[in-house]
Amino acid sequence: MNDNQFLGYERDDGSVGIRNHTVIVSTAPYANDTVKRAADIVEDAIPITHPLGRCQTKPDVFQTYRTLLGYATHPNTYGAVVVAHAGEIVDGDELAEDIAETGRPSDSVNIHREKGVMNALKRTVNSAQEIAQDASAQKRVPSDMSNLTFGINCATSDTTSGLCQHKATANAVWRLIDEHGGRGCFAETPEFFGGENELAERAVNDEVKQEILERVGHWDERLQATGYDVRGAQPTPDNMDGGLTTIEEKSLGALVKSGDGPIQDIIDYGAKIPRDSGMYIMDTPGHGAESVTGIGAGGAHFMVISTGQGHTLSNAVMPTIKITGNPGSAERVPEETDVDVSEALVGDESFEWATDQLWDEIVDVVNGKVTLSEALGESQFAIHRIGPST
Amino acid sequence: MVERHVAIVEPSDNVATVLRDMQGGESIELNIDGETKTIEIAEDIGFGHKFAIQPIPNGETITKYGKSIGNATEDIEPGDRVHVHNVESNYGRGDLADDDQAKVVSE
Repeated sequence: MNDNQFLGYERDDGSVGIRNHTVIVSTAPYANDTVKRAADIVEDAIPITHPLGRCQTKPDVFQTYRTLLGYATHPNTYGAVVVAHAGEIVDGDELAEDIAETGRPSDSVNIHREKGVMNALKRTVNSAQEIAQDASAQKRVPSDMSNLTFGINCATSDTTSGLCQHKATANAVWRLIDEHGGRGCFAETPEFFGGENELAERAVNDEVKQEILERVGHWDERLQATGYDVRGAQPTPDNMDGGLTTIEEKSLGALVKSGDGPIQDIIDYGAKIPRDSGMYIMDTPGHGAESVTGIGAGGAHFMVISTGQGHTLSNAVMPTIKITGNPGSAERVPEETDVDVSEALVGDESFEWATDQLWDEIVDVVNGKVTLSEALGESQFAIHRIGPST
Repeated sequence: MVERHVAIVEPSDNVATVLRDMQGGESIELNIDGETKTIEIAEDIGFGHKFAIQPIPNGETITKYGKSIGNATEDIEPGDRVHVHNVESNYGRGDLADDDQAKVVSE
């Protein structure tokens, strides 16, 4: 194995995972308990539960469906069991078929069809058990780093974010893109406010440039349509405690984490991140649980969460590596701090040093080292919704 | 000696970020765009918060990263703390949408 390789799990669809998960996916709130109980029983199975999948209009149905499918067919997922309640608009059988098409083992369990939750639970456990055991027999093999997609997100930003840790994050993601031919993806569209023109100038063509500006404008319209001032919601109270005054200041700092290289495209929430090397934007809200869930559905292998004040933000399928440059946070929330680069901000270390600290951790994590959140079993899952329930 | 625990991102910025807790009444030396300037910190400012390095009249643009981060809502003097009490955003202002003041103001 050379510096351009890592040890990963090869999939039939051509992707390569850095983890080998068995996931159990709920299609509606009424299947959530069955999913959680089954995941409690089967060692290492990951439950995907949410309050959506029923009484939604088409745009939300598509968004929910592609997010769930994104997790069930994620590069880090070996196989999946889908659990539906009855006849949902997010169809469990269709989801299981789409999973199987990627070469992954899958099963579709329907609580009504099984004549109740106890039968459904037994079948879910048995299917997940079989998938998890098969998964455990698969070996890691040397794979090219060009297969990797690097997700990026902010969390509880403060004024140190844009001055320090975002710089190391940007250097690391561009190292993967420029030196190894990989991909990067960042998100949080309302956090482009104030920096959107400069960001749009980085687009590879006029079409992508206009699309970025239109999507940013759309978020401002959505916020104005509430009739309220966004202040207090953005920046959040913890952002303000950390010294951030306005959404513009938060945005300009937030954009530092994307570096200054070209933007290939801006894609829908939860959509697959394209295979071609380069940097992509996913159109998501700034709400961390929703943006991270979206980028995970897009197939990012791992995510660097660049935080100011420290954060529990994490994901069960896509490991999250948390970096901070705030010396107080590294001391205050050590179990949320995978990489502390504060010496580059208040000490004598350089940003090159900070970048190397982060890169070394990334290399370890893609080869199998568990992150702090993985070791603690911390994760959140929140699909962004577009419109009202019906 | 020039204070090292202060970050000025771009020479055109009119605010600076403190990288240690600062006390009201402290006199600090800054290098602003090649010139050394002494500023007295008006009140206690916690790690990561900002102060003005130039006079900023009410309504004028607050500049950081070389770009607008909002407008002053009162006259701000060098050394004054700059935060939510004297700055307002130009985005997401549904509260101002009726009188058309919420139009996006870009750099």
